[in-house]
Formats: sequence, C-alpha cells, structure tokens
Amino acid sequence: MSKGARLVKPASYTALILLLFSIPLFVKGAYPLHVLIMVGINIILTSSLRTIATTGQISLAHAGFMAIGAYASALLMMKLGLPFWATFLIGGIAAALIALLVGYPFVRVRRVYFAMLTLFMGTVIRLTIMEWRDLTGGTSGLLGIPPPNLIVIPGLLNIAFDSKVPYYYFILVLVLISLLFLYRIDSSRVGRTLLAIQQGDFVAESVGINVTNFKVFAWCVGCFFAGIAGSFYAHYIRVLTPDSFGVMQAIYIVVYMVVGGRRRFSGAILGASIFTLIPEVFRGLKEYQPFVFVGLLFIVIFFLPEGLVSLPEKVRARIRKRRGISLGQS
Amino acid sequence: MTLALLAQSILNGLAAGWVYVLLAVGLTLVFGIMNIVQFAHGEIYMLGAYCSYFLIKLYGFSFWEALPLSALLVGLLGIVLERFFFRPFRGRFEPSIIVAVGLMVLLQTTAVVGFGTSTKSMPGIIPGVLSVSGITLSWDRLLAILVGIVLVTALFLLIQKTKIGQAMVAVSQDTDAASLQGIDVNRISAVAMVVGCALAAIAGSLMGSIFSTSPFMGTSAITKGIAVIILGGLGSIPGAVAGGLILGLIDGVVPPLLSSTMASIVGFGVIIIVLLLRPRGLFGHE
Repeated sequence: MSKGARLVKPASYTALILLLFSIPLFVKGAYPLHVLIMVGINIILTSSLRTIATTGQISLAHAGFMAIGAYASALLMMKLGLPFWATFLIGGIAAALIALLVGYPFVRVRRVYFAMLTLFMGTVIRLTIMEWRDLTGGTSGLLGIPPPNLIVIPGLLNIAFDSKVPYYYFILVLVLISLLFLYRIDSSRVGRTLLAIQQGDFVAESVGINVTNFKVFAWCVGCFFAGIAGSFYAHYIRVLTPDSFGVMQAIYIVVYMVVGGRRRFSGAILGASIFTLIPEVFRGLKEYQPFVFVGLLFIVIFFLPEGLVSLPEKVRARIRKRRGISLGQS
Repeated sequence: MTLALLAQSILNGLAAGWVYVLLAVGLTLVFGIMNIVQFAHGEIYMLGAYCSYFLIKLYGFSFWEALPLSALLVGLLGIVLERFFFRPFRGRFEPSIIVAVGLMVLLQTTAVVGFGTSTKSMPGIIPGVLSVSGITLSWDRLLAILVGIVLVTALFLLIQKTKIGQAMVAVSQDTDAASLQGIDVNRISAVAMVVGCALAAIAGSLMGSIFSTSPFMGTSAITKGIAVIILGGLGSIPGAVAGGLILGLIDGVVPPLLSSTMASIVGFGVIIIVLLLRPRGLFGHE
C-alpha cells in the first residue's frame, strides 16, 4: 500500500465524522433528525448483534435486552430519582448481568436452537413487562419518562434536552464510542478467536480456546450495548410500551445485519442505515410502505447474497469482465 | 376451580392444542426436508383464515366447503413459495430466515392493504354447546379437535404407508443420500411445502371461526408454532403433536387460574428449560 493510500482512509473517516457533526447546521426540522437518531440506535443494535454473531450464534433476544435497558433506566430515574448518567449506564449493565445469568446454559445450545432459545427469551422478557403492570404500566405503557439531565459545565456549556439537536449529538457520540469499542474487540486477538469459534467449535476447542467463556463474553458485550441503546431510547422517546420490543423488532435487527453483510464490520452499519433510511423516504406511501422494505430485502438477498458491503466488489468484477470481453473482441 | 370450569379449560386447551399441531406439523415438515425455519408460516395460516372468510361471506360456501377449498388454494401458493423463494436457500440458515421474513412482511402488508386492519368474524362452524351433566362444551372446539386428529392421522399414514411419504422421510434423514437413490428432492420439498401450507390454512380457518381473523394473527401464531416444534424436536411429527398438546393445555388451564399472559410466560419458560436440558427437544435426535 502506498503512503498516499494509507492516508486516504483516516482522512475520509475524519471527513465523514465532521460531516455527521455538521448535519444539524443545515438539516433543520425535527423529522429528519428523528430519522437519523433512529438510524443511530439501529446501528448500535445491529453492530452489537454482530459481535454475538461472530461466534456463530444468532440472537433473537436483542429487542428484549434493549427493553431491559430501557425499562431499567427509565424506572430507576422515575421511581428512585437517580441521575440520568447513572441510570443510563445501569441500563446497559442490567442487560449484561441478565445476559451473564443465562449465558452459560444458553451458549451450550447451538445454531438454530440457540436462535429459537433467544426468540423465546425475548418473548418472555416482553410478556413479563406486560404482566408486571404495577411497575411497568403493562400494555398501556410507561409514560412521562424524564429527559436526560442538563449537561452543565460552568461557564462553558449548558445543554438542555429540549429539542432533537442535543439528542442527535448524544446518539452520534454514543454510536462512535460504541463502534470504536466493538471494532477494537473485532480486530483484536479476542475478535479473531471469536471468528475461529464461528468456523468450528471443536477445532477452536482443540487448540485450547475456552469456547464457552468466549461465547458468553461476546453474548454479554452484545447485550450490554443493546441495553445502552435501550436506555437512550427510553429517555428520547419518553414513552415505553412492550410492543416496541416484539419479535418483529428482534428479527429486523437480524435482517439489518445479514443484508448489510456479515463478513465485514461495516456491513452492520450499512445495513442498519440503508434499511432504516430508505423506507423512511417512502413514508408518504403509508400502509404500502413496508413493500419498499420487502423489495429492497429481496433485491439484496437474491442479487447480493454477501450483503450490501459486497456491492463495490461485484460492480468492480462486472466492469473488469466487460473490459475483458471488449479487449478480447478487438 | 370447579370441575365444570376445569373440563372447559381442558377442552379449550385441547382445541387450541390441535390447532397448534396443525400449524406446527407444516413447520416441522419444511424444517425436516428443506432445513428452513419458515417464519412466514404464520402468515400462511392468516391467509387460510381470510380465504375461508371470503369463500363463506362473498361466495356463499358453507364452512365445510370453504375449509378444503381454502386448503387447496393456499396449498397451491406453497408451490410458488417453494419454487421461487425457498429452493435457492435450502439448508442455508441465515439467508432463508431473511427470505422468510421478507415473505412475512409482504403477506402481512398485502393483508393490511387488501383486507383492512379491522378484525373479521366468521360464522361459527356449529353454533351452540353440548351439555353433559352440567358441563357445557362448545361444538366448534370439539370439531377443531376432531379435524385436528383426523388430519394428523391422515398425514401420519401418508408418511408411513406411501412411497412419497417414505421419500420424505429419506430426504429429511439425508438429502444427498436420498437424491443418490433417485429421489427428486425438489419435488419432495414442494410436496412438504404444499402439505404444510394446506394444513396451516385449515388451522387458520378453525382459529378464525372460533375467534376472529386479523392481518396480524400470524405473528403470535408463528411464535407458538416454533415453540411447539422446538418442544417436540425439530423435524419430528409425533414431537409436534406432543408439543402442541402440552402448549395447548398450558394455554387452556393456566389463564382461568392466573392470566393469559402468565400462561404464555409459563409455556415459553417450560420450553426454555426443556431446550436447556434436552437441546434437541422431547422427540428430537441427532
């Protein structure tokens, strides 16, 4: 790789981050910012699901763990009056602790069975929230969740969460920190170990990897970030109903991950962004809108089986092929 | 709980149980033969219910005529689904889930757009109740049980006694070995899909006439259906019967004692525990 090429990557990342930070300067109006905030939440959910998936396990409980974080954070702030920053973190920790509690028995169950096990776990979490009416408000929902506390740095900053803009910056920073963390895991020795586990439990085990510990680790990390995404969601939307964390929501996160492309870290980000943004563009179609999502999904799964991240490679291969043919003819 | 209430709860549970069984055998057949978890199976069930509803309401068929017609129409849809949506992804877990989810959203949205979101109620199969020494049992639930038993027995005989049934068993045991024996795996997959869809349509019609139809009825049904086949063991028909009846009984007996949400929590809790102790389900093997 030439020196120039080596500089292109960091430069383009810096440019992208600067662009993302400047969006509220030229995007006015609450709705577009709301969509971007939801994209941010979905990116955290999908990328953290990918961390679990690198061990070869697909979780359908991610919406459930998001609900744990959301309700934990909202209730601690409402009932015990804890400050937002504490409850926000506790939301993630609560999700991770519950994940740890069930983790060791869960990871013994493999592949399809693991996916189904987590499907039921997610359902049980949602049903428990529905049933525990005194605490959670049941199906009628938990109302009046306070926004995050003011961020005050005396003489310098005074941020109140009274419009979409501070929420946008909050989620942007949160996404960047989460991605940095998850990327560090992914590209580290631990990440390579997880990948080895995905390719074969028994082989990994035979070279002395404690497969169970690593699987539980990935599962807990993934669930922690689902909880964190939930905490943010609770204080942003400020109304929680169990229906926001149903089976479909859990499945959608898997869809974002797979259509984005499992092979690469950027796949989850791309999948979550495109599959959240494009259907929103067609919001005017009202009840016909899900057809856009379905159409997009079928196009990707039939024509880009490796996911959206494989599009540039595909295009490049196509061009090379065409050039090859035209050279052959001349 | 009085004896009468208990008898009714058990009957309700068995009726729900046999509907779950009808739904689940299709899922388990498709899983056994194509190695695909058909998430859109709940939507097939929903379409079956609407099909019967429209045959009865718009075309004046009786329930007993509408039931097989709806099974036939929805069964034919199964051919299309197998050929164009599932065949390319046979045995591939992740992409097949995505395709199934796509179908799920596609069919559900079609139902919302085409039929509206309001629930529709069908005339009951046979209105009225049967009273035996102070215990009242409703006819429609007794009939749901009867239809369930008859159809599952027929399916069982089909699998045990016919050549095509044995071919299905062979494919589910080892796809490659079966195709080496000259079995057309694609044809067997199509048969499994058609049978599964037809049974799901009947399950939907029965449930639709006991309760009502809604475009979203498939979503909760699919979770139950998957629960049933996981409980019984993926790919096993006796397992699906046992799993369906166990879950049905929990759903019938627990609600009068606690609540219907608690019944579901108990049901899924039982399955989680079974999966942890016997990862292959009650009747599964590998």
